[in-house]
Amino acid sequence: MTHTTRAPDNALSPLLVTWLALVVLTLLSLMLSQWLHGAAWLHVLVAAIVWIKGTLIARRFIESERAHPFIRNVLRGFIAFTPIALVLTAFYGPQFARWTTL
Amino acid sequence: MTAVVFPVTETQQEPSEHGRIPGNKGIWVGICCEFLEFLVLFIVYFVARAHFPESFEQGAERLSRLSGTVITLLMVTSSFFIACSVVTMRAGQSRRSLYWLLAGLVVALGYPVAKYFEIQWNLAQGINGESGIFFTVYYYLTFNHLVHTIWGILGILWVLARHLAGGYSAEDYGGLEALASYWHATDMIWLIIFPFFYVLV
Repeated sequence: MTHTTRAPDNALSPLLVTWLALVVLTLLSLMLSQWLHGAAWLHVLVAAIVWIKGTLIARRFIESERAHPFIRNVLRGFIAFTPIALVLTAFYGPQFARWTTL
Repeated sequence: MTAVVFPVTETQQEPSEHGRIPGNKGIWVGICCEFLEFLVLFIVYFVARAHFPESFEQGAERLSRLSGTVITLLMVTSSFFIACSVVTMRAGQSRRSLYWLLAGLVVALGYPVAKYFEIQWNLAQGINGESGIFFTVYYYLTFNHLVHTIWGILGILWVLARHLAGGYSAEDYGGLEALASYWHATDMIWLIIFPFFYVLV
């Protein structure tokens, strides 16, 4: 597959929008924590927020879409790990605990 | 098996068919090691959480949510300022880039200050590293992150000194972008740690 890379951006407004989104998502996660206190669904929503925030930083701040595929994939993998683990431990916590018992 | 092929040249500012390397290769070796280290710590967190779910639900209630939120806002704001420093340098606005970097440093310095007050608050509530599994994992992960942040702050100081000495230009700003990449990666790690201890109750 041919991957074409564009020249890096010189505009500040996408960075400002990203920063605002990160602040709003942070505050939203705190509000969700209050509303969904103790619910398993809180883990799913928090997992989604973690993934969105990580992706925003990778794409807008690090400019991962223009980066070498190795860097892009490392970032994608790292960002995906926690949301997946959060959802799995929320719904399959006891099984996971059994597997990890010495 | 697919081989990883990096461009041979050291200057990475121009996009190539393989994509560019933000900063330089060395910093990405460091960032990959940082990611690996924290992945291990995250696994420790999830194993501990799976074994002691009640301790983790109750422990998060006892921490200062305000401290966690302040640190998060400091991290994303300093990351934003440093990203602006890279973009303005790329546009040839060296002085503006310097001011953004300086702003990033000032905000970043708020992190250890906020952490100091958080630890004082914890100790006043009787919370230390031996207060239970949740707090052991919390101190281990957050202190580790603090160490990485201090490295980042030292890096910002070094890049700032080079910037003041005219070490960067619109054509050659690899060092500045390398620092920015490390700082964004450290910010990303904090954004994962934040819900672990302050949101998931």
